[in-house]
Amino acid sequence: MGELFQETIIVSILAGMVRIMTPILFAAIGELVTQRAGIWNMGVEGTMLMGAFTAYIAVTATGSIWFAVLAAMLAGMLVGLLTAFMTATMRVDHFITGLGINLLVSGLTLYWFRIYIKGRAQPTFDGFDNVPIPILSSIPYLGEILFTQRALTYVAFLSVPAVWFLLYKTRWGLELRCLGENPKALDIKGLSVVRRQYTAVLIGSTMTGLGGGFLLLGFSDRFLADITAGRGWLAVVAIIAGNWMPRGVLAAVMVFALLESVATHVQVLGLGVPHQIFLALPYLASILLLMGLRRKSGEPLRLGIPYFR
Amino acid sequence: MTQVSPSVGLNPASRGRLKIERRVNPKASWTFSMYILATVVGLGLTALLLLTSGADVIKAFSALFNGAFGSQKAILATLAKSTPLILTGLATVVAFRAQVWSIGQEGQVYSGAMGAYFGCLIFAGLPAWLYISLVVLSGMIGGALLGGLAAYLKDRFDVNEIISTVMMNYLIVFLLSYLLGGGPWTEVSTTVVYQQTGPVPSASELPHILGSSKLHLGFILALVSAVICYILLEKTPLGYEIRAMGFNPIALAYRGTNIGRTVILVMAISGAIAGLAGVSEIFGTSHRLRADTLYGLGYTGIIIGMIGGLRPLGTVVAGIVFGGLASGALYMKLLAQVPAALVPAMQGILLLTFLCAGVAARYKLVRVNTDG
Repeated sequence: MGELFQETIIVSILAGMVRIMTPILFAAIGELVTQRAGIWNMGVEGTMLMGAFTAYIAVTATGSIWFAVLAAMLAGMLVGLLTAFMTATMRVDHFITGLGINLLVSGLTLYWFRIYIKGRAQPTFDGFDNVPIPILSSIPYLGEILFTQRALTYVAFLSVPAVWFLLYKTRWGLELRCLGENPKALDIKGLSVVRRQYTAVLIGSTMTGLGGGFLLLGFSDRFLADITAGRGWLAVVAIIAGNWMPRGVLAAVMVFALLESVATHVQVLGLGVPHQIFLALPYLASILLLMGLRRKSGEPLRLGIPYFR
Repeated sequence: MTQVSPSVGLNPASRGRLKIERRVNPKASWTFSMYILATVVGLGLTALLLLTSGADVIKAFSALFNGAFGSQKAILATLAKSTPLILTGLATVVAFRAQVWSIGQEGQVYSGAMGAYFGCLIFAGLPAWLYISLVVLSGMIGGALLGGLAAYLKDRFDVNEIISTVMMNYLIVFLLSYLLGGGPWTEVSTTVVYQQTGPVPSASELPHILGSSKLHLGFILALVSAVICYILLEKTPLGYEIRAMGFNPIALAYRGTNIGRTVILVMAISGAIAGLAGVSEIFGTSHRLRADTLYGLGYTGIIIGMIGGLRPLGTVVAGIVFGGLASGALYMKLLAQVPAALVPAMQGILLLTFLCAGVAARYKLVRVNTDG
């Protein structure tokens, strides 16, 4: 293997990692807001799938990729509204709600997809193109890895400091985090618990829907049943592994994406090992990460516990 | 969507306002009527869904029903379809009653089928009854090992069981995909890789019953499992611990129960039952190991267990109804041109309406004074 070839592969793997991070990062950072407010949304996978499916319908029906992005966010928000209704208003167990949402969306999208493509060839679309950032993209190696990406990838990375700022530097963020630790304190002050829970779930679900939209528009040219393939779950694991801190979540997402990127390059690397081993790596890593985890200090005290006055 | 929340009075000007209160002892008739309401709302939403496809709602529903229960042959086919669903439903009941939120039934179906296939290879040549028993047993062990592993990770490393079981569901599919597509279990003598094994030895097939060409011994095993689950949950010390874990694990720990060990036991039992579903599907119906016939059995089982009220008898009933939906879906596709994928969508809708009904049955709205 030549030195130049090795360099090209490494750059390609890292650039792939950054792109693969995008949808998981949107979901993980969004759901971090939800979890800090004490709502343990286990329906991330389903929410993401709904985003991806809606984006597919929107982009093939209208041909506008940005309209599809908007539609994906809206779809995520609607699923979030259902999640919030079940958890904040009806106070159904958060885990059970999430499982229900996942199963519902998996069934709904499959049904609508079959209707949509009934009696015709499945329509395809042109996904996102790279948007190189002037000057920065010409830096050797780094330019290709970080600054020659899809437009939404930059947005995903910028959302990390943005959410950090919102959570830790604003009054709104303080109240939101308080909701996850001690909702009674807010209630006693006369601040609405339920309304804040809705807001937190909607923020998370909208961003998850956006992640689903990107997953479809940035990686594929068509929709497949259960196209999210566990990425929503990886986002949930990233939050736990990242100890509920934005930078920790970012690091965990990076690990998953790196493994997945390596898996997509296996054919090029030609290692002579069953390719399923590499495909399995992110899922295996998530179990190992949780096993090795000793630090759960950041877990909101009232996470996943319905609030009754 | 009306928001019924304790923090928002419906009419703040009046002295009384609405508050949600837990019913101490919900009346059975009230609970029952809530579930009837959930069924009606669920069917109504499904009808709306049918309208989005431009289908004739009445025609679709009647085709679905006739395909499921319209004739003796249809009923037998329904029971055959319901066999693995009853089993994955029971697996859910055992785990969820102990507040162990495992969704690993899906993966355990696969590992059960793989265990049984392994068994049918190594035990070949033994007397018929012994051979089948060992195949079934190795399938149950396959499921139990995967379930037990998730519980061990929870007990020893505090790994959330939902996440570990989800990840294992993916991992086991990759393992099977390797074994069937290029690995040692790939069907030989063909040039194309079909992602399946060759046919299992006919001596290992579960015999058909009631003269049906579809219904097989697995259905009897499912009913026996339901009875065993009932006895286990309601009449044994372990069942008492399982139920107590659902109510108050701390008190149970003070009583001297080793919670970690109980969780491992619960998950192993749940996994064994789910594994049996895999055995029944491979050795009763498809007669070769392949992934696509097993897909979704575990996830549907969660819905069935929940809608069955986490009780063995309710689960059997729900399992037969859902087996009917799965069986009737093909007929509906043929007669009303509705995609069979309506059924998983309908199941998801029913699950959510039942969850809401379950909550509504436990609470009531009361008017309270807000003086002071």
